Amino acid sequence: MGAAIVALIALGTAIGHGQLNSSPVAKAMIRETALPPIDRGLRDQDPPRAARTRDDANRVRSSQGDTLAYVRGSIIVKFKDDATRGAITAATAQVAGTIADRSSWADFDIVDIPTEVDPEAAAAAMRARPDVEYAQPRYRNHAMARPNDTLYGNQWNFPAIDMERAWDIQPGASAEIIVAVLDSGMAFQSGSVRYVSRFPFRVTPNGPLYPALGQVDVPFAAAPELGASGSTRFASPRDFIWNDDLPVDLDGHGTHVAGTIGQLTNNGNGTAGMAYNVRLMPVKVIQGTWDDIFGSPFVGTDDVVARGVRYAADNGAKVINMSIGREEGGPATAVTDAIRYAVGRGVFVAVASGNTRADGNQQNRLAQPAPDIAGMVAVGAVGRTLDIAFYSTTGPYVELAAPGGDQRQGGVSAGILQQTLDLDMLETYTRPPRADSFAFEYFQGTSMATPHVSGFAALLMQQGITNPAAIEAAMKQFSTDRGATGRDDLYGFGLINPRATLRGLGIAR
Amino acid sequence: MIARRLTTAVAAIALIASAGVTAANAQAKPRLRTTPARPSRSVEIGGYGMFGNINFTAAESFDAILGAPSGAIFGGGARVGLPWGGLFVDVGAWRFRADGERAFVFQNEAIGLGIPVDVTVTPIEISAGWRFRVRKLPKLIPYIAGGLTSMRYQEISDFSTPAEDVDERFNGYHALGGAEYKITRWLGVAGEASWTTVPDAIGEAGVSDAFNETDLGGTTLRLKITIGR
Repeated sequence: MGAAIVALIALGTAIGHGQLNSSPVAKAMIRETALPPIDRGLRDQDPPRAARTRDDANRVRSSQGDTLAYVRGSIIVKFKDDATRGAITAATAQVAGTIADRSSWADFDIVDIPTEVDPEAAAAAMRARPDVEYAQPRYRNHAMARPNDTLYGNQWNFPAIDMERAWDIQPGASAEIIVAVLDSGMAFQSGSVRYVSRFPFRVTPNGPLYPALGQVDVPFAAAPELGASGSTRFASPRDFIWNDDLPVDLDGHGTHVAGTIGQLTNNGNGTAGMAYNVRLMPVKVIQGTWDDIFGSPFVGTDDVVARGVRYAADNGAKVINMSIGREEGGPATAVTDAIRYAVGRGVFVAVASGNTRADGNQQNRLAQPAPDIAGMVAVGAVGRTLDIAFYSTTGPYVELAAPGGDQRQGGVSAGILQQTLDLDMLETYTRPPRADSFAFEYFQGTSMATPHVSGFAALLMQQGITNPAAIEAAMKQFSTDRGATGRDDLYGFGLINPRATLRGLGIAR
Repeated sequence: MIARRLTTAVAAIALIASAGVTAANAQAKPRLRTTPARPSRSVEIGGYGMFGNINFTAAESFDAILGAPSGAIFGGGARVGLPWGGLFVDVGAWRFRADGERAFVFQNEAIGLGIPVDVTVTPIEISAGWRFRVRKLPKLIPYIAGGLTSMRYQEISDFSTPAEDVDERFNGYHALGGAEYKITRWLGVAGEASWTTVPDAIGEAGVSDAFNETDLGGTTLRLKITIGR
């Protein structure tokens, strides 16, 4: 249809420190128009899918033997404000490093080090220096979801937290509230992107070797249940994986999460969202499998996530949803620092507690600081029975629980249902994916619980509680206690209770 | 606890009484002597209407929800003079009503949530007291009284179920003192101060819990129009 061909967006300049591929960046917007999105409806009969884990997040690289929890060749360092140039030079020389140009939305530096140097050891050496505020490897983060498989029901999750009555009080917030979704991107725009797949790849360690696909055009579209492409529904999109303003979701995770926060509601279609009138800010800070296949210049390391947090805070977000994290490696100091910055600017931050309870219960490093930051909440997940989900990571940092689904307690329909990218059209591998085909999928995970809290925060902001610390306090005060009396490591202070919280207090009751 | 409150109430009554006498002393020298209003030989019945202002003891709670710790009251009642000196009994009722918004309390500050709430306080007060006669000012009749208060508290909010709204009655007690000025034999005006305590009526939930305020009472200043002897 005579589509206007728009000049290619040059992305080669994005290559800098932390670059994973030496070849030119293989992504270019080639068309800003597209056919209408494909709606494949409810996908409740799909065969079971393996649960999403760290290995899924990095499976292409894992298949190439790269199983480290961090990126080699560089570390994150924040020097103290009073550090002299000489001291910085001496510090970097200690690890045979060089400082790259500082990235946007970063208050730290990336120090390139020789690839044979252990980043954890180098970071430890830097931390010991008096001029260094913190130093850490560039740990990789991943989505916290566990995509679901089997049967289907409906959105039990909203009645479970009394949302119908909560919406009576506060119907979906408004466009004044921007919720940033730091994730795998979002289906927020229509068009077509040209990528280059240069190398054969595996998506599982022992799986088939797929040939390089060469130059491929990937159509993408805005999810019909999120909003129209180019509409004001979406604010300040940013892609820190490809270093551009086109955070196309090639995974489906971010779009699903965004749906729970702000799916269009009362439109006679599809599913509902918590705060369905807010504006959504797509900020891509973790990569999907296809991003790896196409050789994205960045992956979801701590520095990338930290930049995403600062970007969101600087561009008007009032709530940040982080259904992401990592279990391996040390503290996420760079991310914690960025979250403190965001909260200081009046932004509420919700982070998934993690999905490891059934696999050793390793804690999500990104969520661990939550008890120390008033305005940041770590979110665990409950299933349809409102009992803790089998996967929901427990620990002293868990502060609240929300529906995340538990398909061991109720089959497929016990997951969280939202519209997202049609996974059948994404996981093609012998041919290019399509990001313009959508389906209603049940996912489970603390990734799915967290956007309930983010949407809830948006409702509270609209209702008048704008201080992030006050939002956290209100959520805790009115939560429904579960498990042991009072705070516990499974549910935190309890299951969120939006209706009671929004209703607040009278004099006597 | 109750004994201490009773002691407080008695002390308040005594204080108000002495204050009335002192005021009378200041107006007429040599020292005025107070006597019963009149050697009553029969039961005398009168009525009154009143308006005034209440300052709630739970000031932070009322301020957080209603925007002020005080407000206007309107009411009325009947007084019966008994045939024993200045002894009288009084049955009165008044009403306080105000609109506000529900709130959340964070770090001792209330954040309004925009949900309308209607608060009504309706006490019934049964008092017994003594009316004095000032010889030099026969039209001025100081009095003191104390008694029981039955306080009805209603809190009705938008988006609430009937079970979530509040409509309860609590018991407390009060002490008051004032002076009536007889304009004519049957018509008078009176100024009155009253202190009421209704302990443990609030404070288990709501902002009163956050502010640790449990008493639904307060102090009132009232102006009465009286009819009767």
